[in-house]
Amino acid sequence: MSFDLNFIGILIGAIMASSVPLILAASGELITERSGVLNLGVEGMMIIGAISGFALMVITDNLFLAVIGSMISGLIISIIFGVLTQSLLTNHVATGLALTIFGIGMSAMIGKNFVGIPGKEFPLLFVNLKENIPFLGPILFGHSVILYFAFLLPFLTNYFLKKTKIGLIIRAVGDSPTSASNQGINVSLVRYSCILYGGAMCGLAGAYLSLIYTPQWIENMTGGRGWIALALVVFATWSPIKVLIGALIFGGITILQLHMQAVGFRIPVQLLSALPYIMTIIVLVVISRDSRKIKLNTPTSLGQIFYKEK
Amino acid sequence: MNTKLRVSEISKIYPGCVANDEISLEFGSGKIYALLGENGAGKSTLVKILSGVVRPDKGEVFLNDKSIKLNSPLDAKKNNIGMVFQHFNLFETLSVFENLSIDSDKKNEDLRLSVNNILKKYNFKIDLDIPVLNLSAGQKQKVEIIRCLIRNPKVLIMDEPTSVLTEQETEDLFVSLKQFSDEGILIIYITHKLKEVLSLCDEVAVMRKGKVVSVSKTKEEKIETLANKMVGENLSTIKKKIKNFKYSEEILKISNLNFRSDDPYETNLINLNFSLKKGECLGIAGISGNGQSELFQILSGEIITDYTSIKFRDKEISKLNPRERREYLMAFSPEDRISQAAVPELKIYENVALNNFKSSNFFEKGLVNEKKIKEHSKKILSNFSVNTDNVEMKSQFLSGGNLQKLIIGRELITSPELLVCFNPTWGLDVGAINYIHETLININEQGKSSILISTDNDELLKLSDRICVIYKGKLSKIMYVNEVTPEKLGILMGGGSID
Repeated sequence: MSFDLNFIGILIGAIMASSVPLILAASGELITERSGVLNLGVEGMMIIGAISGFALMVITDNLFLAVIGSMISGLIISIIFGVLTQSLLTNHVATGLALTIFGIGMSAMIGKNFVGIPGKEFPLLFVNLKENIPFLGPILFGHSVILYFAFLLPFLTNYFLKKTKIGLIIRAVGDSPTSASNQGINVSLVRYSCILYGGAMCGLAGAYLSLIYTPQWIENMTGGRGWIALALVVFATWSPIKVLIGALIFGGITILQLHMQAVGFRIPVQLLSALPYIMTIIVLVVISRDSRKIKLNTPTSLGQIFYKEK
Repeated sequence: MNTKLRVSEISKIYPGCVANDEISLEFGSGKIYALLGENGAGKSTLVKILSGVVRPDKGEVFLNDKSIKLNSPLDAKKNNIGMVFQHFNLFETLSVFENLSIDSDKKNEDLRLSVNNILKKYNFKIDLDIPVLNLSAGQKQKVEIIRCLIRNPKVLIMDEPTSVLTEQETEDLFVSLKQFSDEGILIIYITHKLKEVLSLCDEVAVMRKGKVVSVSKTKEEKIETLANKMVGENLSTIKKKIKNFKYSEEILKISNLNFRSDDPYETNLINLNFSLKKGECLGIAGISGNGQSELFQILSGEIITDYTSIKFRDKEISKLNPRERREYLMAFSPEDRISQAAVPELKIYENVALNNFKSSNFFEKGLVNEKKIKEHSKKILSNFSVNTDNVEMKSQFLSGGNLQKLIIGRELITSPELLVCFNPTWGLDVGAINYIHETLININEQGKSSILISTDNDELLKLSDRICVIYKGKLSKIMYVNEVTPEKLGILMGGGSID
């Protein structure tokens, strides 16, 4: 019996680990979108983060530098998006798509020399506790510091948006950039900052994949997680806590259906593979039915180009 | 507290238009100043310069004889210049208190205290913790005013503040403005409504085509003198004859019309019943957002609610789409000229072609018959005195007045039996308004009927034969125009009841 319980604990720990990149990327994108900017380049920024993190780890042999470097590279690539959409007033959707295509191509090019190199072991915290406490041990302990940060992030984001002045300003800019500008708020500065923050979080999400989750470089290793993160933000109706729930459901069903496939359930594999996508959407739609709340959470100016009168 | 504000030789030039041409004006506290002018006269540009939103190309602003730089809205705030914009600068999804706290340096508790003091002092009733989108237009404006008052303004600029208010709300606003003025706040009041200038303001500066054409005391002015200064020519005044429609044929009958929407921005319509006689104009008054746009869309066929509520010339048309309804000789002029009535990026003749699908054989075997459409468009331009004959011009380059003439012309050239129009003169200047009003009276005289949904009471009283008021999706009883007064309309528009 204790073996079974422990197994469930390990399963839950695995689910948590698999949802980390989604939580990080979606929390970052959520802030970006709350300021009214729609950045569809999440996948591109993630994969750039993944390769730069891995490359830096190989070159410097320093995991700390690798993690920081991945965030900076995500941030740098998001600057391209910022300059194009905020200063040159290009269309958000087209620019974001271009960013993703660029990121995937760029990472493949840089990554050529890093294929097949083994990763480095990432330090895990409280490993003793993990092994000594049945069930709760594998859930609460033995994870990387990034995982703990990821699970704290939605709550911090929620507090930041609701309770702090800067959060209020971001929401105001997302609601009406014209009004904000007429109130003397520097819309461009706010939006740039949110874009850069989103970029950094996507970079970190990528680094989690290439340094911790599957410590190696494989071309296209984000495998559409950026798109899932984008969808999570929308289906979670821009609520950080619901993003967390959605990411866990997605991660959970992904892992469970793998186990079901392994055990040999008589359900077509294609259907099982589609299950995480379908279930996540269903659950998020069901928990965000209140149309009034959606209206209040949705950044009204999302994706609109803002042009300041001179 | 004595405040003197002086603008000196302010100029602002946009590509193709001189918005402000060497404007010099002086204002002193304790008085209410009107800045009067038609659309495009340059009033808004001037106040945008005063509030730091727009920078002038030339000229200076002096506050108490000191030159001040207004490079951003923050500079205006620092100099205690407050501004209430025509289109509210509020964040709809944030709560009232969040809206107020966003540009305040005070701690939340202190801010709440001072806001509550303002609420009490001026007898404003607003719940601070609900989202702004739940407020009425009048309440939203009060939030804007409170936002200015928190900063103890020396100057308060109001840009067309009554365009969204009811009669009663307007009166309340005037009381507050006079109170502010007595407290020493200098008030600059921008408007194109002549009556308001006379009833509220002490001095009036009239602007035309970017220039100040006259500065005078309002005591010395009358509506006619101001109107002529504003337009620069003498306007004809048209009047509608009162007719009896008792024995006329009934052309439209609406019975038990209901509309339910889950969208919190939309209004439900509750059990509407009315009918319209041949040659009659029915006016529907109300503050915007009380169900007018839903009603318009149901009449035009953009929204289909049920299959039994609308009868036009004894035919059931409830399930027909807008094109099919046009073939039954109904015509529609929606509220938003740019996004609903016309496609601004398309040329004039292309916009004309959008409407007339079958009857006018503009399209043959799936191809566009350009020649025919252009001839037809030219006819509209000349018959409805649009000030261009170039049908190749993109519609976005037409002024509001000319675009509206084009739209009304496009609808009327097919001689429809019924025209439904929604705020046909909204935002237009006096000349264009005059023309549209003449046209609408003419079609009634030719025996065609019209429904006029409007938020402008003067317009309704001038053009309608019967009037009713829509409030929260319900219609008031329908009254003959000679029994209606602006006061009665005001009461009904605010949800009150008469008799």
